[in-house]
Amino acid sequence: MKLKSCLAMYRLLIKTSIKSRMQYKFNFMLASVLAALIQISEFLMIAIVLAKFGAIQGWSIYEIGYLFAVMTLSKTLYRTFADEVHHLEKYLVGGDFDQLLTRPMPVLLALMPQNFRIMLGEVLQGGFILCWSLGGMMHSGQVGWAAVPFTLFIIFTGAVILFSIGLATATIGFWTTRIEELQNFTEDAARTAAQYPLTLYPKWMKSLLLIVIPVGFVNYVPSLYILKGELGAWVLAALAGVAILCLAASLRFWRFGITKYQSTGS
Amino acid sequence: MLYFTLASKAYARNLQYRGAHMVHNLASAMFGFMYACIWIGLGRDHPLGDYGTQGMVGYIAFTQAVLWVTSFISNGLGIPQSVRTGQISLDLMRPVHLFSHMMAREWGQIAYQFLYKSIPIYLLYFFLFSLRLPDHGITYLFTFLGLSGAAYLSICMNYLIGVSALWTTESSWLYWGNHAMINLLAGFFIPLEWLPRWLENLAWMSPYPYLLYVPTTVYLGHGSGRGLWGTLFWGVLMTVLCLLATRIVRRKVEVQGG
Repeated sequence: MKLKSCLAMYRLLIKTSIKSRMQYKFNFMLASVLAALIQISEFLMIAIVLAKFGAIQGWSIYEIGYLFAVMTLSKTLYRTFADEVHHLEKYLVGGDFDQLLTRPMPVLLALMPQNFRIMLGEVLQGGFILCWSLGGMMHSGQVGWAAVPFTLFIIFTGAVILFSIGLATATIGFWTTRIEELQNFTEDAARTAAQYPLTLYPKWMKSLLLIVIPVGFVNYVPSLYILKGELGAWVLAALAGVAILCLAASLRFWRFGITKYQSTGS
Repeated sequence: MLYFTLASKAYARNLQYRGAHMVHNLASAMFGFMYACIWIGLGRDHPLGDYGTQGMVGYIAFTQAVLWVTSFISNGLGIPQSVRTGQISLDLMRPVHLFSHMMAREWGQIAYQFLYKSIPIYLLYFFLFSLRLPDHGITYLFTFLGLSGAAYLSICMNYLIGVSALWTTESSWLYWGNHAMINLLAGFFIPLEWLPRWLENLAWMSPYPYLLYVPTTVYLGHGSGRGLWGTLFWGVLMTVLCLLATRIVRRKVEVQGG
């Protein structure tokens, strides 16, 4: 019953936040389109280089577009539902976290529905690049229609992995209070690195991105199977395993971290 | 004297956070390292024109380090925020010109970022990639001029973005748009001569190449100091624009909050 009413509240919150954004429809649409265009400029940067030089280490422009788009969409899914996990610092510094602790429900369930973020710009950008790159590869016969459900699946497992990384990073905030600098490293830099094939990097960095901060499992490892036919179909099952493992580990760490929480607010 | 005090206060304020900034530098350095790896990967399969692989690594290392002087400066020089809080009305009342006031503050910020961000990041790359330093003293002089000019252009651009906040609440879009332009047109990742011809021509009609590409090529010894005339030209043009904008702003003030 408690979980059910919690979900009902969450649904209500989602509805209200869509409604509130729709009050300024034109503004919302314009902002979304602009956000998409600005983010596409980042992809254009690499696209121009590839158009001039051809493939990088055997990865074509479509394949890199695919890596890019899957990462964007996974991140979007994670941040749409759990933006407040990323912004935990605000709660720790301001002391608002105390309030959440008094709620009669798991803290994480109280935290996540504080904000539901609509990221249409990212969906447009990621969706556009994904359709373009998958379309290109289907046209040349590199992948078949099976790639579509596989892609949806890895976007979802990717979101779970990114959420786990975000949650583990946020948990460190219980000791350090400030986490922005660390997030810049574990979330932004690591995610950007995985937008390109990991074969580009030296071995230590590749292992870092697969083991310590497992962003490589969001897009790179599944792409080896989906796009290049390497490894085998077991990768998808293994991926689900990795996602569950990451989630379980980070939830455990979170529960341990919370016991070390000391209030800061004034 | 007043301007110097403004600048040194902005510098001192940042000094408090240098520990955190050093951690942040590691993350920033990661980005440049990634871009360098991409070029190294490309260099294995293709000859990289005049630059060669090592040259491109040097190019990326330099642009990534000087970003903190010529691009990553305060969003709109902090004006959008002061419009939101109403502080702008006080700023306009001061017996100091708004443009030079904001600029002095930003120079302090830039000086700090040069010493505590650009230099440590470049030093890291220097050892990591065994980079070479320029041989001639004159190159350092021209690079210094190019970078100062680029920082000034960046201040002007951000000033114009900042004052636009008096007309629209969405001025942060201009800031991000500006960044997208820097990504594509300033030579942030690709030297301009490798852009498609039409885009290269478009870039040279804008002030963007003078932010990164011109100082970098001067430093690497690819271009002569002639590109710096362009920096001067845009500097003068931008100054005129900023002064004009300030005149209009003085009649326009409309405070949002209190």
